[in-house]
Amino acid sequence: MMTHERKRKIEGIIALTFSTLAAFLGLFWLVFILGDVLVHGVKALNLSLFINDPAPAGVDGGGLRNAFIGQLMITICATLIGVPVGVLGGTFLAEYARGRTVARLISILADIMVSVPSIVIGTFIYAILVRPIGHFNGWAGAVALSIIMIPVVLRTTEDMLSLVPWTLREAAFALGAPYYKVITQVVYRGAATGILTGILLSIARVAGETAPLLFTSFNNSFYSLNMSQPISSLTVTIFQYAMGPYDSWHSQAWAAAFVITIFILLLTITGRLIIKWRYK
Amino acid sequence: MAESVELEVKGLDFHYAGNIHALKKINLTVYKNTVTALIGPSGCGKTTLLRCFNRMHDLYPNNRYEGEILFQNQNVLEKRIDLIKLRSRVGMVFQKPTPFPMSIFDNIAYGLKLKGISKRSELSEKVERALKHSALWDEVKDKLNASAYELSGGQQQRLVIARALAVNPEVLLFDEPTSALDPISTAKIEELTETLKKEVTIVIVTHNMQQAARISDWTGFLMLGELIEYDRTDKIFTAPSEKLTEDYVTGRFG
Repeated sequence: MMTHERKRKIEGIIALTFSTLAAFLGLFWLVFILGDVLVHGVKALNLSLFINDPAPAGVDGGGLRNAFIGQLMITICATLIGVPVGVLGGTFLAEYARGRTVARLISILADIMVSVPSIVIGTFIYAILVRPIGHFNGWAGAVALSIIMIPVVLRTTEDMLSLVPWTLREAAFALGAPYYKVITQVVYRGAATGILTGILLSIARVAGETAPLLFTSFNNSFYSLNMSQPISSLTVTIFQYAMGPYDSWHSQAWAAAFVITIFILLLTITGRLIIKWRYK
Repeated sequence: MAESVELEVKGLDFHYAGNIHALKKINLTVYKNTVTALIGPSGCGKTTLLRCFNRMHDLYPNNRYEGEILFQNQNVLEKRIDLIKLRSRVGMVFQKPTPFPMSIFDNIAYGLKLKGISKRSELSEKVERALKHSALWDEVKDKLNASAYELSGGQQQRLVIARALAVNPEVLLFDEPTSALDPISTAKIEELTETLKKEVTIVIVTHNMQQAARISDWTGFLMLGELIEYDRTDKIFTAPSEKLTEDYVTGRFG
């Protein structure tokens, strides 16, 4: 009898030890990476980084204004394309096509889309929006990012709308509301914070993408607001500068990495805070 | 007292999708400015019948009505009837309170806005009147802009009643409106039905026979989709004609 109980106790201790070790192993690398970015990034951070464009290769100084602005433009355009499509698509699945086979099918496809490697989406957009046009361009980058966003926003919207109790819709119908008003005025309100959180997290997701931009918006060493031309982004700049031969590039890459990490961190934290605030 | 007819159900059959025969040849007359209670064991079809009056079943595919429900001489089961108009004339209050995720004021104003009323002064006036009607005004008049979710369950239910009343319906359908409420809130809503029936006709589904006896003028007893007996409430509870009714109201089953 005693041995049996002892065995169970030992098993418990072993399970606890291994899961704790695994958790710390994961956490260690996370803290290591974030700490490294923080230390190197803060050191390289200065005002010139935000207000100047890159200096000629090998020359010290200059900044990454072009990359910050380009990143912002691509991300905003991707959001403007991806969010309406995602939200309306999710609305179709949760409301108009609720319970139908087509809704389940699209849901499953969206789930698959979420896990498609982003480089595949990049090459796909390259084939349809870069090659036919003949040169890299910012729009292609925005479209590539929006395609990564759409399934995320679509599934979140669908899930959040499904959480709104059906009786709430019936109550609105019972007052004589047409379906589109039930959705836009009652159901969206009930699901607003959830959908907003999904949108923020999807922006955070695409803001850190490099591969799809390498094939689409590529890079531009000059300050440009023209989305029809190659346009600079932080992630691609990090990639190029980190691989480059100059120390000044390396430190600027660290600074860019720091800024984009903080940006994504803030988006994620905001998303979490909204959830907490809503469901407390 | 000669009572005028509000709703007349004639030979109503209802099938849910999948050919479930939920209501069988129902005949019943609802009189104006009365409270009509529908009682019966779970699954007897009382809620199904209630939801025929405002065609709530149309929200789900493949439900089928046969027969007629005359509402002021018009058959509401006709295909081409304007459901939006019908539902603004026949309001509904559900089992669980269903406040919308917006302020108390906006909840009440919702139906009014649907009707195209947008003038602030007119909205305020009608919101106030509806809240007074549902005996909620004194409790919320200082926090009309607060979220409706801050109210208690009983207050929420009266808010929902006010919301339904605001659009001036002719009929109000109550689907077990007090089953999720405490006894005090229940008493308040029961009192409310007494004053409301001066202006609207009320049809109420209830599980609670004492409640039906207390507040209704007419009572229909349903079982297995059939209307077993329909008569004045005092007769149903004191001298029912059917053995089944007697067994049910005396608590022998159900």
